Amino acid sequence: MEQTVYEKQSTISLHEKQLKVRKYSKKSIIYLLLVIYALVNAYPIFWMFLNSFKGNVEISQNPFGFPIQWVFENYKIAWETAKLNTYFFNSLIVSFVSVAITVFLGALASYFLARFTFRSGKIMYSFFIFGLLIPIHATLVPLFLLMKNLGLLNTHVGLILPYIAFNLPITIFILVSFMKSFPTEIEESAVMDGCGVFRIFWSIILPMTKPALATVVILNFIHCWNEFSFALVLLNDESLKTLPLGLANFAGQYTTNYGAQMAGLSLAIIPTIIIYLLMEEHLVKGMTAGAVKG
Amino acid sequence: MHILSRNKWPIFIGLAPALVIYLLFAIVPIIISFYYSVMDWDGFTDMKFVGLENFREALTDPIFWSSLKNNLLVVAASVFGQIPIALFFALLLNRKLKGGKIFRTLGFMPVVISTVIISLVWGMMYNSRRGLFNKLLEAVGLENLAQNWLGDPKWAMISVCITMVWQFVGLYLIIFLAALQNIPQEIYEAAEIDGASEMKKTRYITLPMMRNSIIVAVILCISGSLRTFDLIYVMTSGGPGHSTEVLAMYMFDQTFSSTRYGYGSALSLFIFFFSLLLVYVSTLVLKRKET
Amino acid sequence: MLKKMKSRSFLVMMAFLLALMTACSGKGSDQASGDNNASAKDGNKIELTFWNIWTDPSPQIEASKKQVEAFMKEHPNIVIKQQNIPHDQYKVKVKTQAAGKQLPDLIQVWPGAELKPLVDGKLIQPIDDMLSHWSDLLPEEKLGDYRMNGKQYALPGSITPTSLVYYDKDILKNVGYDEFPNTYEEFKKLIAKLNDKKIIPIALGNKAQWILQSSYISTIGDRLTGDQFLSSVLDSGDKKFTDEKFIQAVKVIKELADLKAFNEDFNSIDNVQHRDLFVLGEAAMMIDGAWSLGPLLKDAPDKNVGIAVFPKVEGGEGDPAAVSAVSGTGIALNSELKGEKLKAAQEFFEYFYSKEYFTELLKANVLVPANIEPPAGISPLLKEVSKLVSHKLVPVYDATLPTNVTDILNTGLQEVTLGTMSPEELAEKLQKAVDKQK
Repeated sequence: MEQTVYEKQSTISLHEKQLKVRKYSKKSIIYLLLVIYALVNAYPIFWMFLNSFKGNVEISQNPFGFPIQWVFENYKIAWETAKLNTYFFNSLIVSFVSVAITVFLGALASYFLARFTFRSGKIMYSFFIFGLLIPIHATLVPLFLLMKNLGLLNTHVGLILPYIAFNLPITIFILVSFMKSFPTEIEESAVMDGCGVFRIFWSIILPMTKPALATVVILNFIHCWNEFSFALVLLNDESLKTLPLGLANFAGQYTTNYGAQMAGLSLAIIPTIIIYLLMEEHLVKGMTAGAVKG
Repeated sequence: MHILSRNKWPIFIGLAPALVIYLLFAIVPIIISFYYSVMDWDGFTDMKFVGLENFREALTDPIFWSSLKNNLLVVAASVFGQIPIALFFALLLNRKLKGGKIFRTLGFMPVVISTVIISLVWGMMYNSRRGLFNKLLEAVGLENLAQNWLGDPKWAMISVCITMVWQFVGLYLIIFLAALQNIPQEIYEAAEIDGASEMKKTRYITLPMMRNSIIVAVILCISGSLRTFDLIYVMTSGGPGHSTEVLAMYMFDQTFSSTRYGYGSALSLFIFFFSLLLVYVSTLVLKRKET
Repeated sequence: MLKKMKSRSFLVMMAFLLALMTACSGKGSDQASGDNNASAKDGNKIELTFWNIWTDPSPQIEASKKQVEAFMKEHPNIVIKQQNIPHDQYKVKVKTQAAGKQLPDLIQVWPGAELKPLVDGKLIQPIDDMLSHWSDLLPEEKLGDYRMNGKQYALPGSITPTSLVYYDKDILKNVGYDEFPNTYEEFKKLIAKLNDKKIIPIALGNKAQWILQSSYISTIGDRLTGDQFLSSVLDSGDKKFTDEKFIQAVKVIKELADLKAFNEDFNSIDNVQHRDLFVLGEAAMMIDGAWSLGPLLKDAPDKNVGIAVFPKVEGGEGDPAAVSAVSGTGIALNSELKGEKLKAAQEFFEYFYSKEYFTELLKANVLVPANIEPPAGISPLLKEVSKLVSHKLVPVYDATLPTNVTDILNTGLQEVTLGTMSPEELAEKLQKAVDKQK
């Protein structure tokens, strides 16, 4: 009798042990996978940063190692060649304004498209989605002529408007699909409480959409921050130009200063990473479970 | 929202601003561009009406067809590469992990980093003389598998596709991560009480709840891949030969290098309709699975 | 909870609006234009807009920029407002602006095929009536690339030989060559010997596809076909790309590729990277334009470099010492320019293309079209180059052919080296494109 109890106990603990081992090894496999994933993805940034301290010849001679001779001057050259002191600020203005308006207008439109049924709703939604399919370069010349006729050529407004127009489709697309998944009871109870349409949008739907909003803010910011073709064609004044135009200055007709280019790109990437880090919290924090219960 | 739908005014106020900007600065330009497609125009001298000539030329242009083929390869690689990988890592990263934020952030870096850098780094890794890949193959004794990755027309397109998959996984990762936040915790808790394993929870709860986001990702993937331009432009400029030429690039070259605005516009019209067709078909397929 | 969220979103909304308002009012329409002829006068000042590709700090560009600065200092009533745009993007921008008839007052231009549409579209004006100013400095025969329909549209700032063979004297000596080989047969033997020693014979980076055209076929083609070939193909039609001699020239390039004369990754690296291969001594030679001279001297000042022209090819009809060359970029005048703005532009031209400018360029290792005494202390390599090109210059293909034919040639040559297209097929394709133009 005593023996069997003992045996039983030992099998239980063995079983537990196995479970623990399995759990442990599972965890380490996950970590292993993630570490590999992170390394593969982080490497180019690391590479860029390292090579931003090398001279041109060294980059082709020794592309993967640490710099033999640290060329800090690259950053100074980059700052001047890419005209960072004006272009950087311009890019910040254009990107922030474009993103703010796009996300606000996009969220508002998405709210009506996702949460209301009206006759033209579906058509309008598809109409916005068409925008995802437009090849950007086909619109360069027409857009240039349009802006010329509107007198918006060579202004930030003339750049921001197309940025909004071309970022609205993806914004609406992502937000509508997200908003559609909320249960309908949410608004019903709000209406009972006497909330108006816009108040429901502000106080209920928008906070619930936070993860998706964070996603579109990140995506829109990257689009605007890196956008090149429109800026090239629509801006002439040195005082108005944006960062990507400056970053192209490193390539001459027959030469490219790779070291300085990488220095410039290393500096240019900082705001995007900051925006990402700020938004990432909302991205994964998710709907606070209590938001609805209030 | 039937309760509110009696009053149309809020709907109008809410949609109008977005609609106006979108119409004026995205739709109007593309319509003007479509108008060019029936013209012969070099941008310097006067336009000439040529009817459907540009479209006829496109359909008999072998480079157009090979670009289309390459483009479809990009679409396939993106849809079947980016989305499964992104989904996999989104599921991994959606749990409570030490350092989760670091992994998520690093995973997103390829989307943030400049295409120029991506092209440089991958170009050096693909390099046939001293690139990382051939060195690795050599190290494990497989040097006969070493290739001239970007220089050989047989491998160039595949190599470019691999880089492209790598570049955009992070994009879908954050879309999926956002969607995962939207699944109520209660459902999992209920499943746990029933003793469901993690595999089962993923299979029967998470994935079905993610269906909409997956459709969104597939459509973004298709539309993005058909318009792909930047990476290939800096990585191979369409070469060697025309082996990595894609539609958007061919259109760009025809427009701005050969200054054939009419022909370029005809090509862009084709891009538009191909994407429309593909998106339509794929939503049909994905939606049907639902029932 | 509701209240809290409401106030927060209200704050966010305010921030949006504030950002929007500052952006719209601050950088808004009041800064528009300044670009066209409309608002020429700013007080008593005449403003000229000038677009160019002067972005990287190379000595040639520095010299040009200095010239503009100096002009403005001496002419306080004239302001030259520059826009520097990198080369590839410049082309896109100019074409877009041309479509909207919004070109600047002064436009940097390239000769031949790139100039033609600007002339055809009447977007730039001839400068014939001021040409006499340079009758001593710039010999007439050097101006031809910018002459179209009998009129002069710009002046060349430099002469750019596109096809020089740079070789590492030390490496060649090691394999038994004190002199650069004279004939193509001998050249092939040299390649074989270098291959035996596991040294890359010729560094090539043809990713962008124009090198094989600009630096190879332009001269190799001339070796075989003779210098009247391109004009007969394009104008009279007496000769064709399908002629045996042209096909032979393409076969020379194919043969070089088959002989493994190039680094094996020549289709996936660019021309900056191929220069590095040569600089680092991994390759014995490089066939490149004169534009590589400056960077080469900067990166490897102590390297023992020789410069030669592509050797004589058996059975060729061309001059074995000819080098393909093209006029460097020029500056053209907007056709809408008139009155005092035109006068200001003329003053600028006269000031800009001066003896001092060309001397500065020589010091920066750039060949110039001007009749001037070379200053003391110019590099011996530049002297060598200038001796090589003093014999005979022949046209560069991409400056002569229409752009769409050039595009076919560029990709075609790459395909020939890969073996996915035969020289005959390429010739046929080119001829077809030429026929279609007529």
